[in-house]
Amino acid sequence: MNYFVKGNPDLCIGCRTCMIGCVVAHEGKHIFEVDPDSYTFAPRLHMVKTARLSVPVQCKQCENPACMAACAAGAIYQEDHRVLIREEKCIGCKACMDACPFGAIDLKIVTGMTQADGSEKKTANKCDVCHNIPGGPACVRVCPTQALRLVTEEELNDDAQKKRMEAARKASLALSAQNQDENRKV
Amino acid sequence: MSMGIPEIEDADCLLCFGYNGADSHPIVARRIVRGKQKGMKIICVDPRVTETARISDIHMQLKGGSNLALVNAMAHVIWEEGLTDDAFIKEHTKGFDEFLKVIEKYTPEYAETISHVPAETIRKAARMYATGKPAMILYGMGVCQFSQAVDVVKGLANLALMTGNFGGPSMGIGPVRGQNNVQGACDMGALPNSYPGYQSVTDPQIQEKFEKAWGVPLSSEVGCPITHVPHRILHEKDEKKKIHAYYIFGEDPAQSDPDLAEVREALDKCDFVIMQDIYMNKTGLHADVILPASAWGENEGIYSSADRGFQRVRQAVKPAGNVKPDWQIIAEISTAMGYPMEYKNTEEIWNELIDLCPSFQGATYEKIEKFGGIQWPCRDKSMEDRGTPYLHKDGIFATKDHKALFYGTDWHPPVEMENDEYPMSLSTVREVGHYSVRTMTGNCRMLRNLEDEPGWVQMNPDDCKRLNLKKGELVKILSRRGYCITRCLPTERVKPGATYMTYQWWVGACNELTDSYLDPISNTPEYKYCACRVEKIEDQEWAERHVQELYADIKTRMGIDKGKGDRS
Repeated sequence: MNYFVKGNPDLCIGCRTCMIGCVVAHEGKHIFEVDPDSYTFAPRLHMVKTARLSVPVQCKQCENPACMAACAAGAIYQEDHRVLIREEKCIGCKACMDACPFGAIDLKIVTGMTQADGSEKKTANKCDVCHNIPGGPACVRVCPTQALRLVTEEELNDDAQKKRMEAARKASLALSAQNQDENRKV
Repeated sequence: MSMGIPEIEDADCLLCFGYNGADSHPIVARRIVRGKQKGMKIICVDPRVTETARISDIHMQLKGGSNLALVNAMAHVIWEEGLTDDAFIKEHTKGFDEFLKVIEKYTPEYAETISHVPAETIRKAARMYATGKPAMILYGMGVCQFSQAVDVVKGLANLALMTGNFGGPSMGIGPVRGQNNVQGACDMGALPNSYPGYQSVTDPQIQEKFEKAWGVPLSSEVGCPITHVPHRILHEKDEKKKIHAYYIFGEDPAQSDPDLAEVREALDKCDFVIMQDIYMNKTGLHADVILPASAWGENEGIYSSADRGFQRVRQAVKPAGNVKPDWQIIAEISTAMGYPMEYKNTEEIWNELIDLCPSFQGATYEKIEKFGGIQWPCRDKSMEDRGTPYLHKDGIFATKDHKALFYGTDWHPPVEMENDEYPMSLSTVREVGHYSVRTMTGNCRMLRNLEDEPGWVQMNPDDCKRLNLKKGELVKILSRRGYCITRCLPTERVKPGATYMTYQWWVGACNELTDSYLDPISNTPEYKYCACRVEKIEDQEWAERHVQELYADIKTRMGIDKGKGDRS
């Protein structure tokens, strides 16, 4: 199963440290030393704020990804419990952006690569659950309120098991309440 | 703060009043979030839907400038419904009956007409606060930056007193300060009316003590508050009171003070202005002398946190070139002016300070190092006295008879209300990521990538629709005092008729608009309320170019490096 990062709006304070952490993790520390024009600030998750909600939104790492199905260049693939983009294969057609139901993909400029017309190459950009980055997802590590967590197969199963237990407990409570009511009637 | 910051998460009820932790202090906001997870009830009073409002049990989205009406109405309900702690009031306070006379007329229905918060919501909030044990109040600049500020602070203290919420952990009232180490600046006596340790400059015995310690005659008069400086330069008739020289460090009044046009005039007309800072800023453009200072990571010493905690800060990197720490610069200036200061290190300065301040006397470097921090009062140097996490233990207050005083006042509206010409209100706010006047964070490229000039004005979508404005569009915003250009940010988190801007942007400088009217006691300006008007700019291409030109011009005048780090 693919793993994914999930935000909890009850804990999120909308500070966007996750977005900075994401860029630092993917670009490396050199971005603090080089000309800011020489790299792209392209966070792979985005803070969404509505009237009563603040939460970062990122790729769900779907098991049957619409983006992958839509990609004519074969640049999107699944490996190592995640959905990944081969930047060198991406032709920037934006079909994946269109297909993604969560708005989790955008376009970024890849510094140092050029496209046919000589301009800077643009490719699809999305969360890769910090593939090959030591320590796991940077957003999870830097969040000051622990509002983000990495969800693995095991965790998902544990969560489901907890919910089933809770459902069973509620059902039994309801049943005993019903019995009491009937006893009273008698 | 009467409590310690770590105690926040263990309160049963939190009344968060005009305080937006998520944007001002994410590390304090973390305690609020954790408290919520532990079952703490939260009442949030804020004209905007802040992150705290989002997770609160009751959000009173009041109209700006109605604070005291709402606070008095809460007190009214607590009294009317018999939710007071009568034993505490009887044993530990004075003036309750006089206070009742003031709050008598503040029925929730009356407060609703002023605050636009439904009377029933005010009742529910008052009950929730009064029945929560322990209940804590945190307040921020949404209380302090009004012309009626100190009255509201006292009003909040009244709520805590009448419900017996003083003298134990996780209760009391907590001003969460506006700046890093502002508590330390006050502790050190950087106030016009006190020596270090809050010892009054008008007390002859205190004066004598400091004269003896420092070997110089000292003034017995209260000094000039920072917000009076422009007036004392520009309009003071009495030559003895007129200010001729202004030494500014770690502060950027040409960005952070209200009515910037007046501030600039004052700086230009002042005979001599010295600016001491880590980077060039707006004030530097008007300075005669600029002294380069070292930054927090390059210094060592003591900071005080908002909860009276002294903490050691240590040097992480050596300052570049011949830049010196602030204490050395001050010592050298003083020596050059004829009063030699020969300190070898910060501990020597600290030891001199604590021996002159009874409430700090026990807070030695050794103890601060060993325990990670010491909260004052800490009066004894023995290792047993580990300071005071919360104040007023057992209901004993810092007054002569150890009793707290109720203090009731009537609400009055802000000074400059909306009118036909300026139909909307403006309040200055914070945003996480950019700290204060951007002297530090504006030079951090990562943070600049998240937000850059000219910033945003937050407006309700209905107002945007009425003015035909889209998200990101450049707009002109004006008041009686001036104008600036910024971007429109429609958001349902603010109410119609109100606008909000952060005050750090050089181009979108909202303090061009703000009013320099002050609270009569604290001398803090009314940053949270003035009348304004938003205008559409038809030629957006011109506006975009104009903003870039203004930004480039400021950078050129500041001599900011055109090479590395510059996008233009």
